[in-house]
Amino acid sequence: MREVVEKVDLAFEVNGDSVRLAVSPDATLAEALRDDLELNGTKTGCEEGECGACSVLLDGKVVNSCLVLALECGGKSVVTIEGLAREGRLHPMQEAFVNHGAIQCGYCSPGMIMTAYALRLENASPTEAEVRRALEGNLCRCTGYRKIIDAVLSLNNGESRHD
Amino acid sequence: MSAMKMYQAPRTLEEVMRAAGETGATIFAGGTDLMPRWSKEIVPRPAAVVDIKAIEGLSGIEVTDGEICIGACTLMSGLDESAALRRAAPILAEAASRIACPQIRNRATLGGNLCNASPAADTAVPLIALDAVVDVAAPGRAGATSREVSITDFFQGPGKTALEPGEVLTRVRFKRPAAVATWAWEKFGTRPAMEIAVASVGVIVEASDGVIERARVAYGSVAPTPLRGHGAEAALVGRRLTDETIGGCVAAARGEISPISDVRASAGYRREMVGVMLRRMLEDARGG
Amino acid sequence: MIKTSGDTGTVNKRGTDQESLIGGRIPKLDAPEKAVGLTRYLDDIKLPRMLYGKILYADRPHARVVDIDTSPAAAMYGVRAVITAADIELVRFGFGSDNTALKGEKVTCIRDEIAAVAADTPEIAGEAVKRIRVTYEDLPVVATIEEALASGAPVIHEGAPNNVPFRFDYDHGDIDEGVSQSDVIVEDTFSSQRVAHCCLGTSGLIAHFGPDGRLTLHSLTQVPFLYKHDLSRIVGVPPEKIRVIQPPIGGGFGSKLDVHPFEPICVFLARATGRPVRMVFTREEEFFATPTRQPMVIQLRSGAKRDGTFTFRDVRMTLDNGGRTSWGATTPWISMRTFSSLYRVPHVRQHVDVIYTNNIYACAFRGYGNPQATFALESQIDKLAHELGMDPLDIRLKNAQEPGETTGQGMVLGTCGLADCLKTAAHNAGWDVKHSGPQKPVGKSRRVRGLGMASLFHVGGGAKIYRSDGCGTILQIDDFGGVTVQTGASEIGQGSETVIAQIVAEELGLPIENIRVVNNDSDLKPWDVGVHASRTTFIAGNSALRAARQAKGKLLVAAAEKLNREPDELDLAKGNVVDRETGEPIESIGKVLRGMHFGRKNEMIQATEFYEPPSKMPDEGHKGDISACYAFGTHVAEVEVDLDTGVVRVLGISAAHDVGRVINQLGIEGQIEGGIAQGIGYTLTEEVKVEGGRVVNPSFTDYKLVTTHEVPELKLEFIETHDPAGPHGAKGVAEAPLVPVAPAIANAVYNATGVRMTDLPLTPERVLAKLNESREAERGATDG
Repeated sequence: MREVVEKVDLAFEVNGDSVRLAVSPDATLAEALRDDLELNGTKTGCEEGECGACSVLLDGKVVNSCLVLALECGGKSVVTIEGLAREGRLHPMQEAFVNHGAIQCGYCSPGMIMTAYALRLENASPTEAEVRRALEGNLCRCTGYRKIIDAVLSLNNGESRHD
Repeated sequence: MSAMKMYQAPRTLEEVMRAAGETGATIFAGGTDLMPRWSKEIVPRPAAVVDIKAIEGLSGIEVTDGEICIGACTLMSGLDESAALRRAAPILAEAASRIACPQIRNRATLGGNLCNASPAADTAVPLIALDAVVDVAAPGRAGATSREVSITDFFQGPGKTALEPGEVLTRVRFKRPAAVATWAWEKFGTRPAMEIAVASVGVIVEASDGVIERARVAYGSVAPTPLRGHGAEAALVGRRLTDETIGGCVAAARGEISPISDVRASAGYRREMVGVMLRRMLEDARGG
Repeated sequence: MIKTSGDTGTVNKRGTDQESLIGGRIPKLDAPEKAVGLTRYLDDIKLPRMLYGKILYADRPHARVVDIDTSPAAAMYGVRAVITAADIELVRFGFGSDNTALKGEKVTCIRDEIAAVAADTPEIAGEAVKRIRVTYEDLPVVATIEEALASGAPVIHEGAPNNVPFRFDYDHGDIDEGVSQSDVIVEDTFSSQRVAHCCLGTSGLIAHFGPDGRLTLHSLTQVPFLYKHDLSRIVGVPPEKIRVIQPPIGGGFGSKLDVHPFEPICVFLARATGRPVRMVFTREEEFFATPTRQPMVIQLRSGAKRDGTFTFRDVRMTLDNGGRTSWGATTPWISMRTFSSLYRVPHVRQHVDVIYTNNIYACAFRGYGNPQATFALESQIDKLAHELGMDPLDIRLKNAQEPGETTGQGMVLGTCGLADCLKTAAHNAGWDVKHSGPQKPVGKSRRVRGLGMASLFHVGGGAKIYRSDGCGTILQIDDFGGVTVQTGASEIGQGSETVIAQIVAEELGLPIENIRVVNNDSDLKPWDVGVHASRTTFIAGNSALRAARQAKGKLLVAAAEKLNREPDELDLAKGNVVDRETGEPIESIGKVLRGMHFGRKNEMIQATEFYEPPSKMPDEGHKGDISACYAFGTHVAEVEVDLDTGVVRVLGISAAHDVGRVINQLGIEGQIEGGIAQGIGYTLTEEVKVEGGRVVNPSFTDYKLVTTHEVPELKLEFIETHDPAGPHGAKGVAEAPLVPVAPAIANAVYNATGVRMTDLPLTPERVLAKLNESREAERGATDG
């Protein structure tokens, strides 16, 4: 178990806001987000980097927040699922997931959406093969992935496969 | 009962070595292998970790005419996405690109993949085929000294490396393969992604007028360490890639590996897959 | 407030471009909240002063408990309670009454719960359970069915001295007659593995006693009312003092149909501490301490006449029950429906032996015992076709039932789209071209391709396994046309909430946004048997439809009175009372409602309905019309097999399902696609591996779920048979798509390679071994 250890100051940016926290040296980024900042949209499904439910962006790159120490994030910028919607409107990626039926139980959805969002930051018009590869580390047990892949592809040229 | 009480991210190697030497801090880079081991209590959570990612000069890929030099903290995604590495040593970029998934590739480092000394380490196999050496920084009286260790000597057993306490792997270097060299690397697993190799094989051959002049063969997940295939190499050098040569090479490979049976595959199947992968690579190399 | 801008053309909502909501592509109502990360799952919920619970498992398969010393744990700072079997009343529960919350005398599998701790933090609780000292006297481990049945085998439970706690028998017709009518008879043994539900959200519970002694549970259960009843007996709280709140869950798939030991344990910890206690499993616990799909060994003998007419099926099933009993032991009840009723067959016999071992045990999992049975049966039907020189499609069509037939088990097939499913799936897969002829390697490679088919039979209108299979609805309309539907049905991610809202909105002529569905609190919602047996769209849909019809009737009467018209001249559409003939809007529904409420009569519209389907409980011989309708489907799989490695890749699946009627196109596609993906995992990669009673791959690293790469090309088609019993003609569909995947793939492997795989999963290693075996046999034949 973890003894009571002295917490350490951490200053970083979360969803565009400056945040100061005191965290245990062994706290993960996922724990800091969920427990300290109540950003519970970031889910934990395995805590060993195998399921992708905790995916967030760290300085623009998608990572498993369960495999990042919170203290590593000092001075860095983190974006979570709560950081995508603007002024009460869903981000187009979130909207695509909703409208394509890419969400069932929803537990994988935040991580899935963040990973897809990260893909499109680097590749505005990914092919289906690129989408599959980008999402290969995000497990979903409900949808069978088809609608998730379709949702991401639908943002290419703003079109949907089903149109 | 263990608790991590300290996290440090120094900017110099000297500070790292001091921390590692004096307080027994665990050297930490991508954390993708260490952190699950801590949480599953496969290894105790260390009292202190020293993060080496902020140290200057430990990240990046330098490709010159003669040599390729890669910092220990270079990410797998960095290897995958480096156009220069793709040109100069595609076998390594390819192996890096097939590790786990983007989230892991954005965190896992080359040095970490090697220092974990897993028999299945995906980058070890191409690095053996590339005759790589690693630079190790050691604490010395007048600051850090450096020693060079060949990649094959670096792996001592499952989870065991040639690193002494306080030492830090800083760089990986290898000669740029000849432009004429053909290469292949493949890993076998149940799924296309998120796989720890059941077996992997890497091959680099250089031929002149159809006769193989130089060959390097390496295997992963079929011995206590990633393994160089001396026997398979010997079966190739000085020969043409005939069916007979390929058969001889495959037989040599099957003979020099020592796979085990575990939850992922049986020893027999691993041996079989090494043979299949090697045969297919050589047949592809022949172009027939 | 989050709103979708609805800019995509794939979404049809009432009042936009489509008249009816039924059959539309309606996004799930709960999806926007899930998409932005605001949905609060169990592990996101913290109650004031909440403690964290943790269980100590035996971690040995078979042993006597000699002594438990909890003092080192109890002495830890932050530990608020430590309990063992000695601290609770040991009430037996589970289908075999062979389980208790904590085990005090004997351990019969590694996951047996020995002690539990409630502490201030999860870390303290985790450390505390490790400090509990248990002295065991190990007993010989019974790791296999064979060991359990050997003479002199250790007895696992005293109630079953031969280690056979249950036997089930079923028959119709006369097997001997069937045998004598047969021109060809085939016999095989099939085996299937343990697989895990792998819900992305792990198991858990929050238990909390109020000062009045009322117990509130934040539970993931799929069956809140049965759960309340069962748990009540185990923890000694009257059912009327238990409230079950169901937060959104990270997947169900049948895993939450039983009371699992951790649940009463969590309640006992809450009682011991007087504080709320939350228990959430780690992924590792989820793998070894929750039940799996039931593994089965099925010996199947079946026959056919020369023209392909099926004659008989003789089934012998052996189940490794593990060390305790959950629903796994009863899965043959569903297997037998497939053996008796998938295609027409006059003579069927099924014998089942359920065997105790010291392995982990099984519970319900999507499809119950159907995937196992269908794997065996549809593989063997393929073999019969081969023996008779018939096309596998033709032999199936020859025996497919027609609407109106009653099966040998007494199930009445009012509507039956089986023949259509077969033809459609085959046509869409290019069966005629791709299936026939010897399969050739692809290009110069060592890979060959093949096609295989399999169908399914499943309940589609609930399953009356309890005396009631009903569901209640309470519907209220506010002054503005806002509707609150309290339904007994539970939402587990499958989209029942949306389907219910669609049905109600359609009936009341209101936009779907006006409908609020309340479905997660046993204090508010009427009774329902639970989410199982693919029953929710059918049963809860019918219940909601009837409640909405009542409400509509009241509205039309009030409107008619106000407008001096007859009720049957009026209808509701697009938020208005309209002229039934012309569709002309006359008055807004809101205005009529306010007129009722604030006018002379001071009335509001409330409607209640308890819908009980017209199905019957099976008799002692398991016969009877258990469901109000039945679902059918056919899958055709195309595979590519690597002859050197044994790797099977699924290239495509063509699926045709008799779903009665599509209510939500988007939702039903999601169910089929998800079921197929689970089916591919079941067929190719997934297995909870147990050695000597221990789970050796309790992580996603070595338990291989399919990833994005393995999803093949899918061609889905829905056969709409418009079942008169279903809401708008719909049948249930949730479990169906998983069921025929394994035999379709295995039959395709046969078509590609000539090798018939009888053991799941079809791992590369296993396929290669079979390929090598057959090559050697061929070589032997040539040499000889």
